[in-house]
Amino acid sequence: MDQELLDQHRQELRRGTVVLACLRLLERPGYGYGLLEELAARGFDTDTNTLYPLLRRLEKQGCLTSEWNTDEARPRKFYRTSPTGRALAAALGDEVAAIAAAVAALTQEDGR
Amino acid sequence: MSTTERVDDALADRYVAAAVHGLPARQRADIAAELRASIDDQVDARVAAGEEPREAERAVLSALGDPDALAARYEDRPLHLIGPRYYLVWRRLLRMLLAIVVPCAALGVAIGKMLEGASLPELLGAVGSVVVSAAMHVAFWTTLGTALVERHRSSSDDDLPRWSLESLREPEKRTGGLPELIAWLAFLAVAAGAVVWDQVRGWPSPDGPTHALDPSLWPWWTAGLLALLAAEGVLAVLVHVRGGWTMRLAAVNAGLDVVLILGVTWLVVQGRLLAPDLVERLPVEVLDPTTLAVAFGFLVVASAAWDAADSIRRALRA
Repeated sequence: MDQELLDQHRQELRRGTVVLACLRLLERPGYGYGLLEELAARGFDTDTNTLYPLLRRLEKQGCLTSEWNTDEARPRKFYRTSPTGRALAAALGDEVAAIAAAVAALTQEDGR
Repeated sequence: MSTTERVDDALADRYVAAAVHGLPARQRADIAAELRASIDDQVDARVAAGEEPREAERAVLSALGDPDALAARYEDRPLHLIGPRYYLVWRRLLRMLLAIVVPCAALGVAIGKMLEGASLPELLGAVGSVVVSAAMHVAFWTTLGTALVERHRSSSDDDLPRWSLESLREPEKRTGGLPELIAWLAFLAVAAGAVVWDQVRGWPSPDGPTHALDPSLWPWWTAGLLALLAAEGVLAVLVHVRGGWTMRLAAVNAGLDVVLILGVTWLVVQGRLLAPDLVERLPVEVLDPTTLAVAFGFLVVASAAWDAADSIRRALRA
């Protein structure tokens, strides 16, 4: 298969799941770069210039809360999932599971 | 692994300044500090992995991309002039306005110039420049208006004209069939007969026979007009036989119409279309001879232009 084609579709498919991944990961407070690394390690490749505006938007929507941590030499803005964000993550998680089940059912029918 | 190792701090500072420049003042400091910390984190990670500090910073900033694009993402501003939400509305509006405004402007200017008694090149120049400027104005203001709406849209869809099944086009009949052909041929024959009669015999009036068209058009201009009418008739038969307009037939038709338009325009400009004594002999006091000739000429030109456009439109739909 054409690698470029695959990448394009995969990126499209995964784009929506980054929000869910962020909401889940930020159950433990995290800051931009740390989150970026963790997302990458778990297979959610996200560009820096996408992640930061996304965090701001989620914060504006009330799904994340933020706090500056100035304990260390480099001050960092820490984000944390709010109760609203947790509810959203649960709903999105159900949705992803439903999609996975529906796709699995398609594959099975195909095999008959 | 500390920032003091880096040599070109100014670059990161400039990047951050550029990115937050257009943002609302109360967010600016916060976003700048976060962005700056993130850049430093990323650069440190690369340096720790063995990269040269200056190179690492350049790589990180390059990956962040155009600061204006980043700022737009922070603000959720569109990075297009007109997006999918308004594009079709814009296109329909633009086409409709161009189709209405440009011909009206051209016609208005042409009539004005003719009444002024302008020469043909002067008239064509004036019409050409008004066509260009009218089209540019229509395109510019339509686009500007739509782009502004795109940037200040409400979240509701209510202001948009909704598409519905009713807006589908009715399928168009390709020809009007035999009755239309016969009516058209009859009209052409009557028109040709009237022209010949007008030139040869004239119409009865108290002061003797009156000609509507300038008698000096006989024989060559008259013959040309009759040839055009005959060609229109042949073309109508061909269209009927083919079962509709084809692109080639439409092109021939448009060619005939252009010849007619040019001929009539030329005669009007030369003051040779209508008989010189026509106005005096009309039973009612009407307009001056020039106005009458211009009005008559435009009637012919407008119908010819419409005929050409209509045949091309039908060929395109077929």
